Amino acid sequence: MSEHQPNFLIRLWRSLRAFLRGIDQAQRERVVALTAYEARELENMFVLMLLGSFAGMPSPPSFLAVELLPHLEHEIRVLNRRAESSTDALAEIMGTIDADA
Amino acid sequence: MKTIFFTGKGGVGKSTLSAAAAWQLAESGKRVLAISFDPAHNLGDIFGRTLGHKVTRFSANLDLRETDLDEAAAEYIRRNTSILTEVYSYTKAFNLDRYFKVLRHSPGVEEYAALTALEDLLRTSDDYDVVVIDTPPTGLTLRILALPRISITWVDRLRRIRRDILDKRHTVHSITGTFSEEGQKLAYEEKDDRVMQKLTELFDRYVAVARHLESDANRVAVVFNPDYLSLRESQRILDGLSDLNLGVNVAFNNKYTQGLSEIADSMERELFDGRDAPPPVHRIPWEPYRREKSYEISYDLTQLFAL
Repeated sequence: MSEHQPNFLIRLWRSLRAFLRGIDQAQRERVVALTAYEARELENMFVLMLLGSFAGMPSPPSFLAVELLPHLEHEIRVLNRRAESSTDALAEIMGTIDADA
Repeated sequence: MKTIFFTGKGGVGKSTLSAAAAWQLAESGKRVLAISFDPAHNLGDIFGRTLGHKVTRFSANLDLRETDLDEAAAEYIRRNTSILTEVYSYTKAFNLDRYFKVLRHSPGVEEYAALTALEDLLRTSDDYDVVVIDTPPTGLTLRILALPRISITWVDRLRRIRRDILDKRHTVHSITGTFSEEGQKLAYEEKDDRVMQKLTELFDRYVAVARHLESDANRVAVVFNPDYLSLRESQRILDGLSDLNLGVNVAFNNKYTQGLSEIADSMERELFDGRDAPPPVHRIPWEPYRREKSYEISYDLTQLFAL
């Protein structure tokens, strides 16, 4: 019986470590998800500011948009997705902070 | 390198005076480039040469050039649409690339092409002591001169947002060791981000132009005639320039004759009374039209620009 004890302790320690790592991972992912969400919002704002004249917003001179357009494929995709989900922004935030479970 | 901008209503003789100033300065031993941004392109007619985008040597010290703003705008659009159609190459499949060509007619392109031409001129003219610039019609000139400052404000704001975006991406990167979305790796450092690079490049370019325009190396001359139409336009020029923090260094009351002295007096009072630092006004006597060498005028212009 006593020779199993170290084995058991090691296994306990390993599971505990895995458990803690899991919590750590979950925390990290939550932070990452929030930060990535913020980054996407900013990207959306950035490209909306730049191309705002197309939506009737006061906007920088259109040539700035033309100069930057070739490098903005990702941001424009974000803008499109954001436009599609714009009526349901609350759901997206709830999803990000895991409150919809 | 110093620059002198000649502004004024169409027909007051700003091309003739800028040509005369360029000629006299060149004869006095300075290396001079006379360039016209005016679509009317009188500079070539005055010197009796066909001018174009390439420099034409007129005399040992005098070079001439005309910048065609329409051509510059077309060139700018050609360059950018080719980059666009390259990047978004799939648009060709749907014949969407022709929509990019509509950009040619979008507002602001002419000003931007002119600003690009001006920026190019300032960057490449260090060999000259003086660059004399004949400007396009007033409204366009004022918009061109305002553009660097407006653009700096916008680019600066965009750069701040971009920096925030990169900060967030950097945070994600330092937690997870990567930053990608939909399998696409995204830059998280300023030096790798092409949008940031482009913004910084534009920022530096506009700052250089704005700095030059506001610096001691730049002179602005306003030309008018002793008549009330050109007075009104000159007032608009002075107001517009002071909104841009640009002063007028010299004023020319052109095509002046003795009989007009009363009108000239009252005009000059109306123009400059109550303004900060009114420029010296020079009355350039009217000279009968000559078919040749109209750039040779008897009034000495060489000392007026404090070069």
